[in-house]
Amino acid sequence: MPFISKFQRQTDYNRFPSSTPIVIDNGASYFRIGWAGETEPRVVFRNIVQRPRHKSTGETITIVGDHDTALLRYFDCSRSGPRSAFDNNVVCQFEIMEYILDFAFDRLGANGSRIDHPILITECVCNPVYSRSKMAELLFETYGVPSVAFGVDAVFSYKYNQLHGICEKDGLAICPGFTTTHVIPFVNGEPVYKGCCRTNIGGFHVTDYLKQLLSLKYPHHMARFTWEKVEDLKMEHCYIAPDYALEARLFQKGGKEAEDKTKRWQLPWVPPPTEEPPSEEEIARKAAIRERQGQRLREMAEAKRSSRINELENQLHGLEFLLQQLGQIEEEEIPSFLSETGYTSKQEIESTLTKVTLSLRKAKGEPKPEQAENEEKTDSSTSEKYPLINVPDNMLTPEQLKEKKRQIFLKTTTEGRQRAKQKRVEEELERERKTQQDEERRLENPQLYLEQMRSKYKELHEKVEQRKRLKTNGGHTNGSSTSGGVGRGERLNAAQRERMRLLTTAAFDRGKGEDTFGARDEDWQLYKLMGKDNDDDDDGPDEDEAELARVCSRLQEIDPTFVPKPEPTPLQPATAEVPNVRPLTKEDFQIVLGVERFRCPEILFHPNLVGIDQAGLDEMTGVSIRRLPSKDEALENRLTSSIFMTGGCSLFLGINERLEAGVRMLRPCGSPIKVVRALDPVLDAWRGASIYAASLKFQQQTFSRSDYYEKGEEWLRRYQLRYTL
Amino acid sequence: MEAEVIKAELVLPTHMSFKRTQMYEKYPKGQSKVRWKQLKQIIQAENYQNYDPDEPNYVNIESPPSMQPCKRICDITGFEAPYHDPRTNLRYANADVFKLVRSLPNEYVQRYLALRKAAVVLR
Repeated sequence: MPFISKFQRQTDYNRFPSSTPIVIDNGASYFRIGWAGETEPRVVFRNIVQRPRHKSTGETITIVGDHDTALLRYFDCSRSGPRSAFDNNVVCQFEIMEYILDFAFDRLGANGSRIDHPILITECVCNPVYSRSKMAELLFETYGVPSVAFGVDAVFSYKYNQLHGICEKDGLAICPGFTTTHVIPFVNGEPVYKGCCRTNIGGFHVTDYLKQLLSLKYPHHMARFTWEKVEDLKMEHCYIAPDYALEARLFQKGGKEAEDKTKRWQLPWVPPPTEEPPSEEEIARKAAIRERQGQRLREMAEAKRSSRINELENQLHGLEFLLQQLGQIEEEEIPSFLSETGYTSKQEIESTLTKVTLSLRKAKGEPKPEQAENEEKTDSSTSEKYPLINVPDNMLTPEQLKEKKRQIFLKTTTEGRQRAKQKRVEEELERERKTQQDEERRLENPQLYLEQMRSKYKELHEKVEQRKRLKTNGGHTNGSSTSGGVGRGERLNAAQRERMRLLTTAAFDRGKGEDTFGARDEDWQLYKLMGKDNDDDDDGPDEDEAELARVCSRLQEIDPTFVPKPEPTPLQPATAEVPNVRPLTKEDFQIVLGVERFRCPEILFHPNLVGIDQAGLDEMTGVSIRRLPSKDEALENRLTSSIFMTGGCSLFLGINERLEAGVRMLRPCGSPIKVVRALDPVLDAWRGASIYAASLKFQQQTFSRSDYYEKGEEWLRRYQLRYTL
Repeated sequence: MEAEVIKAELVLPTHMSFKRTQMYEKYPKGQSKVRWKQLKQIIQAENYQNYDPDEPNYVNIESPPSMQPCKRICDITGFEAPYHDPRTNLRYANADVFKLVRSLPNEYVQRYLALRKAAVVLR
């Protein structure tokens, strides 16, 4: 890993005299701070701030940089994610910048009443003067810094490598960074900003692209793709293809080479415990247990039943005894006797008796004798059962009239039931007749019959399918793509289309002329039409389905080869969901990095791929050379023979070769082209700045607080370091 | 605060001896009322149009649009994409991908389009 944070608190702050400058490489992704003249920065951390809430105490705290994520479990980070002071490559949020500087100076060990050291801090090329002045103000006002200098990181990196003989005094620095990519031409060891160019694409975009692509490819593992993890994946696996089209074709064809280049990331996965088929013994044991349980239940039910029967019998005996007694005692004593028993009349006792008898019968499981008899009786004795029906109204008392009405009602319902029964019987007969006919036809010519049956089945099946498809509204179930052009937008049925039309017209209808909606009652019908439940118009479909089922079963009877077409399973987008039918396997928890490995970094050369309409890395060199004020072929050749790569993204494998090929296409035939990479593309900017700040003449390049306030904004705008001291 | 959190010095102290103005003095409510300018606003306020266009500044050092023909790759697989689906606007490489494209729910289509800033953005 090229990026490693280190934020141990330094203890030797007081060892450095106040003339020793502090050097800060304020990059959009990483912040590095250390002492001038040293070879390594003292403190390195990600340039982010988080302000989560402590879960138990509820206080908002500030965390700078990337810490052990395990410690973050005590904090509620859901409200605010990591924030950066940068917008593109310019520092905009100076509140966040202040937290970061606080942390940086604190970890560097600062403990005086102010930061009493000159400061060299990096900034982007042509930093807007607002950002520059705010930064100076922050350093002067808040930290009491005596003097400040601003320089460009890529230039320091170039100077450092020039010192080590990697690149010449004339050359091109290409710096694909975190959010932007710069090309800076150098003439005589000084950067020429006139010929500089910037494309707003960098490592951030590569990681983001990879993150998006992976989470689209594996939506069910989305939570796994944290920014840090994807960044790791990018650094470990991504490379620049020498020729994108060729490489992509290689993967499209598949084969061994593509397979070798495909990387897999296995997510933690525990195979589900394999269930061994239970042994004989086990089965027997289980069956025995089941049997025992069943037995117990049966016994319980039996006990309950017998107790109920007992109870009912007791009641019956009691009642019979009561009736007997009632028959024996005198007429006058009846009321007093009844009041003792709790019954009001003899009739009541009798009715209770019949009820108890009935329930006793039921409990014993005997059939009800009357019910069966009843039905027969109805036919024979309508007049007996409904004696009042044929009597004229005027001969009846009001009570009898009521009774008559009831009888009429009863009669009609019984008759209706009878009719329905008859119809059922007739239908049964009809069906039988039909099957008989069918059978005859089949026996006549079995082959032809089978053919007919099959075609009928097919026809019906299609019809039913069609209807189903029309009914499926939107959703993710696209009818199978085998049936042709039924797809997005075509699957709304007529009713839904009408509904949408009504809604849209309603939406756009407002505001022209007078609004008379609601004046007529019919207007309100509109809402009914718009209602969602409107679209179930299923009158006929059942018929077809029933017929289909009939044909299907018939076919199954006579044709051993027939297999009913399965319900069309909605074609899942192969990646959209873990298929929950089959058991999950190891492969479902694998993240496959194939084309993504070179597709993502490709955006550095073709920003068009992510919708950024600017020149890519190779074209930028051409643009940069063209922008130079003097048209001098010898100089141009000198520039291209020292193309220098620095910045985090130049760590991608194959980027040098690709860039060389790209530049070769832009330059005249035979021009010298040499692409070199920085010794350490990530840290060289800081090291260059450290050497620069350690030089004796550094003091002349800084400006103090009084300079800042006296010389004014216009001076700050023109402020520029001389890099060659 | 838990012991291990304190040991790791995770939390940034609120008081720094080397500062003239402490954070809590500047932003007493914990968060600044100051709305920091976005880059766009900064650039606007710089009034670059008033300066010599030959002088390099943040805006005019930007690269021009690419002169190379735009590369068309399949939105889903990354292969070269000779085809383009007029209904979803996605580019695709072959019939298999097309099937997939047509079965994608609209949300996914929009997310794929958003990758190359071609999604429909409702404002």
